[in-house]
Amino acid sequence: MNMDITDLQRSFDEDYQLALQNGDFDALFLKYFSKKNGLTTQLLKSLKELDADQKRELGPKANKLQIDQKNKIEEGKKLFSGNKIKDANLDISIPTKPARSGMLHPTTILFRELNDFFRYSGFSVVEGRHIESAEYNFRKLNLPKGHPATDLQDTLFIHQGDDDNEILLRTHTSSVESRILSEYKPPIRVVVPGYCYRNETLTASNSSFFTQYQGFVVDKGITMQHLKDQLEKAHKFLFGDDVILRWRYKYYPEVSPGLGVDMMCKFCSGAGCEVCKHRGWIETLGSGMIHYNTLKMCGIDPEVYSGYAFGMGSDRFVMQRFGIDDIRKLYGGKIYYK
Amino acid sequence: MRIPIEWLNEYVDLKGKSVKEVADALTVIGLMQDKIEMDPDVIEVEQRLNRVDLLSIYGIARDLAAYFDLPLKKLETYTSEAEAENIIKIDVKCPTKVRRFNTRVFKNITVKPSPDWLKNRLEAYGIPSINNVVDITNYVMVELGQPMHAQDLAKMSAPEIVFRDSKPGEKITTLLGEKIELVDGAFVATQGDKPTVIGGIVGGVTTGVTESTTDIILDAGNYDQTTIRAVSRKLKIMNETVQRYDKYLHPNLTQLAIERASKLILDICGGEYHNNFNYYPEKYKLIELTLRLTRLNSVSGMQFTAEDVEKILGALEYTLEKVEPKVWKVAVPVHRTDVEVEDDLVSDILRINDYNKIPVSAVNSTPPAEITPAIYKFENRIRDELVRLGLDEHRTDPLVPSREKDSVQIKLLNALTSEKSALRVNVFETLQQVVETYKKFGATEIGVFEIGLGFTLDGSKENLESYKETLQVECFYENSNLSISQSNTKLKALLGAILKHVGLQAFYINKDNEILINENVLGIIYNNRFTLLLSEVLKYSIFPDHEQRVLTTVEHNTKFDISIIVEADEAFGPMYKEIRDMDNILNVEVVEEYTGDNIPEGKRAILVEIETIESDPTMARKKVLDHLMQRFNVTHRN
Repeated sequence: MNMDITDLQRSFDEDYQLALQNGDFDALFLKYFSKKNGLTTQLLKSLKELDADQKRELGPKANKLQIDQKNKIEEGKKLFSGNKIKDANLDISIPTKPARSGMLHPTTILFRELNDFFRYSGFSVVEGRHIESAEYNFRKLNLPKGHPATDLQDTLFIHQGDDDNEILLRTHTSSVESRILSEYKPPIRVVVPGYCYRNETLTASNSSFFTQYQGFVVDKGITMQHLKDQLEKAHKFLFGDDVILRWRYKYYPEVSPGLGVDMMCKFCSGAGCEVCKHRGWIETLGSGMIHYNTLKMCGIDPEVYSGYAFGMGSDRFVMQRFGIDDIRKLYGGKIYYK
Repeated sequence: MRIPIEWLNEYVDLKGKSVKEVADALTVIGLMQDKIEMDPDVIEVEQRLNRVDLLSIYGIARDLAAYFDLPLKKLETYTSEAEAENIIKIDVKCPTKVRRFNTRVFKNITVKPSPDWLKNRLEAYGIPSINNVVDITNYVMVELGQPMHAQDLAKMSAPEIVFRDSKPGEKITTLLGEKIELVDGAFVATQGDKPTVIGGIVGGVTTGVTESTTDIILDAGNYDQTTIRAVSRKLKIMNETVQRYDKYLHPNLTQLAIERASKLILDICGGEYHNNFNYYPEKYKLIELTLRLTRLNSVSGMQFTAEDVEKILGALEYTLEKVEPKVWKVAVPVHRTDVEVEDDLVSDILRINDYNKIPVSAVNSTPPAEITPAIYKFENRIRDELVRLGLDEHRTDPLVPSREKDSVQIKLLNALTSEKSALRVNVFETLQQVVETYKKFGATEIGVFEIGLGFTLDGSKENLESYKETLQVECFYENSNLSISQSNTKLKALLGAILKHVGLQAFYINKDNEILINENVLGIIYNNRFTLLLSEVLKYSIFPDHEQRVLTTVEHNTKFDISIIVEADEAFGPMYKEIRDMDNILNVEVVEEYTGDNIPEGKRAILVEIETIESDPTMARKKVLDHLMQRFNVTHRN
């Protein structure tokens, strides 16, 4: 009997698949459930001849089989009819407005791509706080009080206390670097996609609010060769394997040696054009070996550990890539996705 | 900055180099050229460094000489060991602003047009020629980076130069004829208490050198750069002098500059030289650092030799004393106030050696443990789900106008514009601009969101911990083709989808529009928008909950309807929560709510479909109704 149930199930399944093709579910029903000769009907009738134990075991199975089969036939009917044009007046070819599909903000798209790239090299992603103390935004980054970068006209202050307690909006994502370096022990690999704030007059290219993408590594034996390697790979990822780079000295207070990277303008192959402001080269990012003083002030022994840091203004790349000519539109709620 | 090639050649012979080679070398050294078109006579470079010596032609020549391994010509200077005569008395009443004031007096000089070579060099640089004395002061400023000044002794109202802080309301007419009212923090050089120079910024018209001048005092001052920077920005004066003085110049640079200028004055203007007062109360020492060859090689990953170090640093005019075979004591020269630590010496060596020569090499150590905060990953999950649900993401500038009476709003002390003088408290303050934009584009169905920070002050202003940054998800949905109620239903469907996605189907909305899970507030909802506090959502979410959502068997549970009458203004949310929290209840859905015929005035009917694992729907219905009627003011509608 058990075998009969299994065989019946198998047979039904095969017949069901056929019915899905030809739509003849009435014939399928009759084959299994007609009063006289239906295969499942006969199986159920044969239960009478079983002893009590067998009935107890096989009865529910047989009952379930018939329920399942009947449900399947109903389901099959619906499926089959759904594949046919029910209404002769229905024109399937008429186009309709697509269902809503949202879009990520252009800055998110760039951040995601960069995050995915750097995570492949073992970097964590940290955003950090926007409201910071002068200690983490400046002092620990080798920017003592009175340094030009800490001028009143560059920083947006929230509180300036008599006891030198300054609270401000972070002017760069490097404040996250000083936080992480102070809180964690090496090895450290972190990228920071973040918002920054400076006291700038609002123009098409400058805003008091902008984004940066920063990264830093601290470990034993980190050299400028590692920095160049990582940056070269990042440039190839962003701009293609044929990107041509040049490396030059650049000053940043929080690194020494400081390194600037330019890429040859792809639009003019270095001949000079509007895109590269007729220089032939486009500055991409700044970087360097984390300053001896910075490591020390963050509690990391610079005689044992070394590290590098890099950062770029990401808005420029976003605007160029997405054809946005004004940063005020990018973050002023003035963009629309079609 | 314009660099005349002919002037550079005075100090380093670059005739064997093309202009492009020189420009490329400058780029590597740190001075990126400004234009690609090559003027054969002048290279224009961008100055963005902390290197005061590179604001001087001689400093640039020094770096180029080191880079190309060419000799650097020494400058001719004049000095005398004679006792200072103090023809003009120097006094400083603001010693924190004036570190050094080095002066010389010249008598019976001839003031006339400069020789052509001097005129041409200045004009090629971009400074017009005035007369030989003024031109020499400008020449030495450009040559060495030390601003200088000359005054006509006959025009001085008193034989003194006294530095003091400016007085409130004090005015001065500058060399350019501009009348300036001095600002707080400025200091002035005076004679007979009348200001003649705005210290470190610009001279006055009264004592200028003209062709009738025969006796002059020449000065080279060294001032506090922070003061110069602050005052010049307030006065909106930016000139060649300020460009140099707003960085830290070593006080000893005045000595080289005044000796150089003295030589040029005697050669070009004739006359007699007199030593005058040299105000220099606190002698500034030169920095001494230790350089290890091992440090150079560990930072670069290369193998430099001791000879490489001595050659490059020697060419840059560092003084080296070997203390061990591969360790030096290095005296930092007066023109390098940017060098503070050993790695700055390393930087100089690598820079002159050319960074492009450093090979690349991959890090081969194991990546460290991940420290990405859970909320960052969670935020991105929410972001993706919202986009999948059809909403557009936006990012908006969090700076907004300040509201005086809003005590939790964080205000900025020094915003340039009132429009951006505070931080938003909630994200919708700025996201609503997006809504306006969409309306302008003619959108009738608007679904936008932003995940960003709201900022509030909760505590004392002095304490950083008082400034709260709350990560919010702000969603706006409105369809002007639908009624408010229908549009709100869609908004709630979005909310439900988001919370379901993170395992929080069991949320409800109370009469205060709060979105709650148990008694914990996740956010708030209005007719066309909702705000979720992401840290709260994360706290209670089941993340991820994929396993909970995969079924392999069909569960046929019992469903039944109830129709209840409630007060028109009573929130159904708490009742919904009560029903859902009852034993054996799997799901509760509102099918319909209605007023009108057969519904008493001031009330409304709500039809609810309930799914239970109980097999007897009649008993289950009775339990639910009894519970509701006990807890709330509801009646059953048969």
